[in-house]
Amino acid sequence: MKLSFYPGCSLEGMAVDYARSIEAVFQALDIDLVEIDDWSCCGATAAHSLSEAMSVFLPARNLYAAEQMGLDIVSPCANCFNRLRYSQQMIQKKVLDIPWPVTGDLRVHDMTRFLAQPAMIKEIRNRVLKPLSGLNLVCYYGCQMVRPPRITGYTDYENPQTLDRITAAVGARVIDWSYKATCCGAGIGIGRKEIGDSLTKRLLDKARQAGAEAIAVSCPLCQSNLDMIQRDRRERPIPVFYFTELIRLSFSDRGNPKWFKMHFADPVPLLNKIGAI
Amino acid sequence: MQSQVMKTGNHTEHRPMKTRKLIGDRGDYFLNRIQGEIKANVSACYQCERCTNACPVSHFMDIKPHQVIRYVQLGWREDLLKSSTIWVCLSCEMCSTYCPNEVRVAETINHLRNIAFHSSVTPKEKQLALFHQTFLEILRKSGRVNEFRLMNAFYSKPDILHEKIKSGNLKDELLLGLAMLRKGRLKPFTARSKAIKDIQKAYTQARGEIV
Repeated sequence: MKLSFYPGCSLEGMAVDYARSIEAVFQALDIDLVEIDDWSCCGATAAHSLSEAMSVFLPARNLYAAEQMGLDIVSPCANCFNRLRYSQQMIQKKVLDIPWPVTGDLRVHDMTRFLAQPAMIKEIRNRVLKPLSGLNLVCYYGCQMVRPPRITGYTDYENPQTLDRITAAVGARVIDWSYKATCCGAGIGIGRKEIGDSLTKRLLDKARQAGAEAIAVSCPLCQSNLDMIQRDRRERPIPVFYFTELIRLSFSDRGNPKWFKMHFADPVPLLNKIGAI
Repeated sequence: MQSQVMKTGNHTEHRPMKTRKLIGDRGDYFLNRIQGEIKANVSACYQCERCTNACPVSHFMDIKPHQVIRYVQLGWREDLLKSSTIWVCLSCEMCSTYCPNEVRVAETINHLRNIAFHSSVTPKEKQLALFHQTFLEILRKSGRVNEFRLMNAFYSKPDILHEKIKSGNLKDELLLGLAMLRKGRLKPFTARSKAIKDIQKAYTQARGEIV
């Protein structure tokens, strides 16, 4: 199987570990990821905040490049996925004139939903060497992946299940909680620290209350927000994993502690406890 | 009007003054404009406040989301452009998703942010506005946004540097930056994208403006 891959800017910088784990997981699943030729940034929040037209133009070129290859797009970053879908819908509705002939027939998958298809879950289950049993975690989706439903296509946007299904397939015990899709503050912490901190702290508190030892996420910005606030080590650390890191861990006989050296909340003691490393 | 707001000394309180006309000076021009431009049925709002209750940052806003919709209906454009709401909003889309009348609240606020950016109004949340602007500057230069370059450019802005020194956050944030560099989370050099030149050319030709 072949797919075109739109990594997004974060996967080259803040989330290199996410990129590495994705590579390992898709290799193990025998799926070819072809990076979109000379891809550019999707514009994220800044583009649509300051110029709505720009937020249609920026992803359009990436859509065009993927259409030239004729491969469905898979995007690991929640915001990139959202912006690609948004741009595609705007082009289909002919709201703006785009200089590239984009038809918008391509499917834009977000990585969690792609891997949560029944067939893929089966594949993942077949390849698990060491189930992560004993790992109590909550899944955190964030906003951009599930909302607004008319763009993302999620029907269960109040209680999304994709990450839950994947992490359950690799053997973790998934705990239900009410803050699955509550905003983590995104980039607001850079300008107004107190707002960002209040939002992330609440999420961590609620995760602890639910009895979680770890959080599984799929968005690079959510991961860094939830992880970096724990650098003062005042409370019990809750490691924040990318879901692909967990899949990769379960695919291998014995995990490597080096995979997690970019985390601020150190997950190695927890993984030692459940015998995954 | 302006002086009376200043006298109360509380920016979170936004009460229209008695002398004020109920409907904006230009009738429903502003309402029609917003409805036409973003295809949002702002008139359908019946002030149930579900958007405000769903909003994760409503307590940091001076005009609450349901009030924004009311202000648009009344045509109070200037108040909206001067508010902190339009910059604090995270576009998390909680409000639009839970609105019983499918009023696109988040899109309305986002559109107001667009209008404010292209107007001469000084944004109330300067840091947040400058962050978006810096993001686009980096994007325009290299096609992809590198966090290291972005943070560098952001902290080099005189306004930001001044603010950070005044609030005493600068040391903490530099230490965080160093910690991230050590962990390998910030990469000073990453690949650039050449396609951004084409995109910008096309955008300028189509729109006749550069952002």
